[in-house]
Amino acid sequence: MAKQYEIPIGAQHISLLEPLHFKFTTENEKIVNTEANVFYVHRGIEQACVTKFKFRQVSFVVGRVCGLCSISHSTAYSQVAEKLLKIDIPIRAKYLRMLVIELDRIHSHLLCLSHVAENSGFEALFMKTMQYREFSMELLEAVCGNRIQYDFAIVGGVSRDLKPEVGQTILKRLKTFMPQLEEIVDIFKTNWTLSLKNKGAGIINKEMVYRLNAVGPFARAAGVPIDVRNETEDLLPWKEVGFEVVTETSGDVYARNLVRLKELYVSIRIIENIINGLPESALITETKAFPEGEATVRLEAPRGELFYYAKGNKTQVLERLKIKAPTFSNVAAMRAAFEGNEYASAPAIIASYDPCLSCTAR
Amino acid sequence: MKLASYRKKSPWILHYNAGGCNGCDIEILACLGPKYDIERFGMINTGNPKQSDILLVTGPVTKRSRERLVEIYAQMPEPKVVISCGACASTGGVFRGMYNCEGGIDQYIPVDVYVCGCGTRPEQIIDGVVQALGILEKKTKELEESVRLKKEAVNEGKQLNRRNIADEIKPLLS
Repeated sequence: MAKQYEIPIGAQHISLLEPLHFKFTTENEKIVNTEANVFYVHRGIEQACVTKFKFRQVSFVVGRVCGLCSISHSTAYSQVAEKLLKIDIPIRAKYLRMLVIELDRIHSHLLCLSHVAENSGFEALFMKTMQYREFSMELLEAVCGNRIQYDFAIVGGVSRDLKPEVGQTILKRLKTFMPQLEEIVDIFKTNWTLSLKNKGAGIINKEMVYRLNAVGPFARAAGVPIDVRNETEDLLPWKEVGFEVVTETSGDVYARNLVRLKELYVSIRIIENIINGLPESALITETKAFPEGEATVRLEAPRGELFYYAKGNKTQVLERLKIKAPTFSNVAAMRAAFEGNEYASAPAIIASYDPCLSCTAR
Repeated sequence: MKLASYRKKSPWILHYNAGGCNGCDIEILACLGPKYDIERFGMINTGNPKQSDILLVTGPVTKRSRERLVEIYAQMPEPKVVISCGACASTGGVFRGMYNCEGGIDQYIPVDVYVCGCGTRPEQIIDGVVQALGILEKKTKELEESVRLKKEAVNEGKQLNRRNIADEIKPLLS
């Protein structure tokens, strides 16, 4: 048996956006065991949501759980609160929520892809992807009024309307983005140097996905078609706007990149369909009721299934709010996927998980 | 002397997330990207506190990350400038008063520039960093002044060499 060394990464590291600590046990440069330490950013949002804030304010607070998927959080909370209030929201609000979720998915996936490229040592691709990503931030600013932290979904509907000229701008920018996306896809697919780092790294197979409860692009890259958009139809009409599941089979970093890239095509199609067929109605359902009873909601965030549970007791303040973020489900699979890989490819594998720890720790 | 003049132009940035929501962090990443391109000021993102001049902190300080924050600050060499990015790093923001959070990073380390906004825009971050450049220059000068000590300017008739100055300032230092 060779000598084993322990190598830590984190909590502060150049390849990490957030405080995240991995302790790798390596043997001849191969990772044999991993310890993950993810709860550096626990803030106590769940407790504050049921003591400090009224239930209508909470949709703004849970948006601050995560800056990357803030619209997923505020939409999921709004949906669970609407279930407690027993109201139905206008159809236009549903479509606008889907529009912003998909725009958010584009920017989140492109950020993740650029991060994978940077951590694989491909700085030029990082710059290229970041450059192409800026259009989605500008569109989000045009739609919601802020580059991040949109505060778009509120209890009962959405806070802003989509102006027709903004819709036309979105369509125009998406058209200019398509050739750029094809360029990126071509690089990710065919670049030989990148494939050395990405193909065969961080493999997770179908059986492990089922055993370790992985969700999101992580699971879809292994060939498991888990997608909440495919399963639920009651809250947001995903199938109506042309959603379909994207899967890959090999389950390595390369497959995860491809799943994200293919999902961008799906997102673009959804956005085009939404803008072309946006129904006319009010934006918000007014009600004076108080939340009562229990409800759960599942929503597909960019990283996987987001789960919300809420309990109300006919007062302004909720009794309980529970958030289960996608990365929390993925931690066990993340640890397993490191095994047997070179230590040098660990940063690229971490980036390809697209971990969101502020969601996980709340 | 020459080293100091170069450092004025190209400070190295260290980024630490002390428990924020990632929003300001991705805006810092966007600053490094081609559109805002913070590297035109000679800045580069470095992962090593021992090589960096500017510390960009985001997020309200959670109880678990505060030791790391102070540790990173202590490892940075003088002169150093701290920028707090975002509302929650400056004051605690929406997280103020939550049980695992403190209100802002200035309770633990001295902050030179506060950048407001939730989330901060890249333009604001660049503005804050450019302000920090001025502060860094000022701090560098202060550091150099303390080496020369409060010695009056040397006039032509009375040239002193370094050893003489050292002898004179010895009682002042002790």
